[in-house]
Amino acid sequence: MSVFSDIFFGGLFQGSLYAMMAVGLALVWTTIGVFNFSHGVFMMLGAYFAWQLVAFGLPVVIAFPLAVIVMAGAGWILQASVVRPLIGRPNIVLVVVITTLAAGSLIENGALTVWGPRSKQLPSLIEGNTTIAGVGVSLHQIAIIVITPLVLAALWSFLNRTRLGLALRAVAQNEDASQLVGLNVTALYGLAFAIAASLAGLAGIFMGGYRFMNPSMGADPLLKALIVVVFGGISSISGPIFAAYLIGFFEAASNYYFGLYWTPALLFLVLIATLMVRPEGIFASRSRGLA
Amino acid sequence: MTLLDIAIPSAPGRVTWNREAIGFVAGFLLLALLPLVLGDSYSRHVLIMIFIYAIVASNWDLSLGYGGVFNFGHLALFGIGVYVYSLLAKVAGIDPWIALLASGVTSTLAAVLVTIPILRLKGIYIILVTFGFAQLVMQVIISQSDLTGGTQGLVRVPGLYLFDHNMIRDGKLAYFYIALALLVASTLFLRLFVRSRAGASIVALRDNEEYAISRGVSLVRQRMVTLAASAFFTGIAGAFYAAYQRNASIDVFGMSLATIILSMVLLGGTSTIYGAIIASFVLTVFSEAMADFGAWRPMITALLIIVIMLVYPSGLVGMIRAAWALVTERIKRPA
Amino acid sequence: MSESPILSVEAVTAGYGRVTVLHDITLEAGRFGNVGLFGPNGHGKTTLLRTISGLVAPKSGHVVFDGKDITGLSARAIVATGLIHVPQGNKLFPDLTIGDCMALGAYSPRARPHESENREKVVKLFPKLAERWRQRVRTLSGGERQMVSIGTALMSHPRLLILDEPTLGLAPKIKDELCAAVMDISRGGVPLVVVEQDIEFLLELSRQLFLVDHGVVKTEIRPGESIEHSEIMAMYFGH
Repeated sequence: MSVFSDIFFGGLFQGSLYAMMAVGLALVWTTIGVFNFSHGVFMMLGAYFAWQLVAFGLPVVIAFPLAVIVMAGAGWILQASVVRPLIGRPNIVLVVVITTLAAGSLIENGALTVWGPRSKQLPSLIEGNTTIAGVGVSLHQIAIIVITPLVLAALWSFLNRTRLGLALRAVAQNEDASQLVGLNVTALYGLAFAIAASLAGLAGIFMGGYRFMNPSMGADPLLKALIVVVFGGISSISGPIFAAYLIGFFEAASNYYFGLYWTPALLFLVLIATLMVRPEGIFASRSRGLA
Repeated sequence: MTLLDIAIPSAPGRVTWNREAIGFVAGFLLLALLPLVLGDSYSRHVLIMIFIYAIVASNWDLSLGYGGVFNFGHLALFGIGVYVYSLLAKVAGIDPWIALLASGVTSTLAAVLVTIPILRLKGIYIILVTFGFAQLVMQVIISQSDLTGGTQGLVRVPGLYLFDHNMIRDGKLAYFYIALALLVASTLFLRLFVRSRAGASIVALRDNEEYAISRGVSLVRQRMVTLAASAFFTGIAGAFYAAYQRNASIDVFGMSLATIILSMVLLGGTSTIYGAIIASFVLTVFSEAMADFGAWRPMITALLIIVIMLVYPSGLVGMIRAAWALVTERIKRPA
Repeated sequence: MSESPILSVEAVTAGYGRVTVLHDITLEAGRFGNVGLFGPNGHGKTTLLRTISGLVAPKSGHVVFDGKDITGLSARAIVATGLIHVPQGNKLFPDLTIGDCMALGAYSPRARPHESENREKVVKLFPKLAERWRQRVRTLSGGERQMVSIGTALMSHPRLLILDEPTLGLAPKIKDELCAAVMDISRGGVPLVVVEQDIEFLLELSRQLFLVDHGVVKTEIRPGESIEHSEIMAMYFGH
């Protein structure tokens, strides 16, 4: 029984982090049609902003939300500087890969200069540990498992229940038609990036609370988010969310049965095999669009 | 100045073979004479690295630029070269030159293997699967740490030899010429390939897939041929890199190397082959020139990449073409 | 009958990149009622409409709507003036429902206060849409999508409606239905600028016709100048 709960909690926890990261990536892809390779760096930046604010003496309840808001601004700025000028170029997908990679390297090295290479740690969301179903888990992890679905549900209802969210979904589907109903397409692109960066920043805060932070901490989560997004299909945000949890459970189970070393290789193998059978991902619908 | 010589822009049908051949020979001859001017082993080391990058970048341009296949696992092909060479030469004790050749062949086979899952895919999905392939290769190497040294990598990898020549105490002269010879061979191969019928059908496939297929171009075969062709010298370059550095490390699979090489391809301007080579020079020399800036160096490089991508969508070759057009205009019609 | 034109295009040159599609085109619309544009495909009709609605920035010339120079304004700013463009084809927003599309139509602050009143108009005009309000656009037929397009535009509270080939590729029955709806809109007081291949419909709908050919207005037909279908056909093919 304990094995099962171990895998269950581990998968739920990892899945939450992956979902938080992947949703932003999918949001940007569906609205703008580009992949943001600085998404992992956003995660790092969010964690460091939060750390800095805490270091300034702000209480966690103010510092963490403030960092998330600052990240929205950072996302907007990144979009305006390295993505928006390229819109309309025929090879935009490729060029944005490079500009966001370069921007990521710029920010990462900037963080290294500002904060130094020494590892840092954020305070936990909630201190303490508990035992559930025979498994010892920290309250921080429990908080993440609870908060993530709430945040994602809020995002879902924003997209599906508000006019602004409707506008964001519309831009994802047809840019010309969006302009012709009077949508501010560039602002909506900025908004997509801002939301994505905020979510990445929040994921960074989650991560910084149970693991040491360093300027390159975003590289691996970006990779995982990419896998999640491919696996779940990049045409929606619900697909990646399901995929995130699925991969979380898969990893937890594989770690247990096959060991840490083989898990990533297995994961990639499953991924490639999946794509051979279902090129659009397992939860994909046929077109680009948010839902 | 050598840069300009090999940079005479050439698109199929626009520059005649003769003119290209003259530029080609002149450019590489100048490169061959460089050690006479640059006697110190540091400059030669930088040039050797440039040649390696140039091979990897220009071969990437074949699949990315000409083929339109967003192969983000290109560096894995390089990494396969590194590890196959290291394992064969060190662990299996095979002759380094044979190991070098075997690396190229293995990378080519790996490229064919990668083609299978991406045959039905398009655009961004190809990026993601090939990216996944690169990670898969890396994970396998890490997990087989008994053989590959895992994250520690392999050290004391055997170097190359040339008869009884002392490879270590010649100021890197021998490695310089081997690297240059590899670059010449690779570039010649790439240019011949893209100007051949196969090259034309690859471009046709990229620009209008449906039409090309209706005219009898096989998507499956051409994709496979493109990726395989781009893999051989990439693998060789990886093997040479391992032989030259005398070690193998999983860093070659990392994002930072991929970013740099990809910037070279895009900075140079895709679908030119020469563009990637020129960009390898410019970017490496630029990066070395800023060695004193320490932590600022990667930031300045990143900024430079962003600025060039924003200002010159067609890359350095676009810049040079514009300048060249201006010059020839002046010559034709003196003001 | 000689009010000032509601829309005038003055010496506009426009195109995509290095390709120029419109060469110094000039026309005035709305002085005599609805305007019809016709001419061979690929000669700039759609580009003209896209330039008017701000999707394409003109290289030179002016577009004046209701006395206001709207040249170079963003599409969003032009929508805000009440000039609404229904684009060709029925791609729309495939994964939005009809209801979503209508809500989007009323997105601009100008249209927001009239949302419920306009929705009633749309439902009255196209009762079919009301039946499928929660259905996604991709599941609709071509004719229904065209209704959604026009309905979305009506939700934007248009002062001038531009229609780009509203009946393109539709079956005769549904086409008649749409034509009748377009006539209804016109009777409701919204002036129209219509590009259409169906000359019969165009003649019935509009009092002023322009033949657009090679990016210029080749012929203008004003009210009172009686014109036969055959003559128009001759203009079409007589070059």
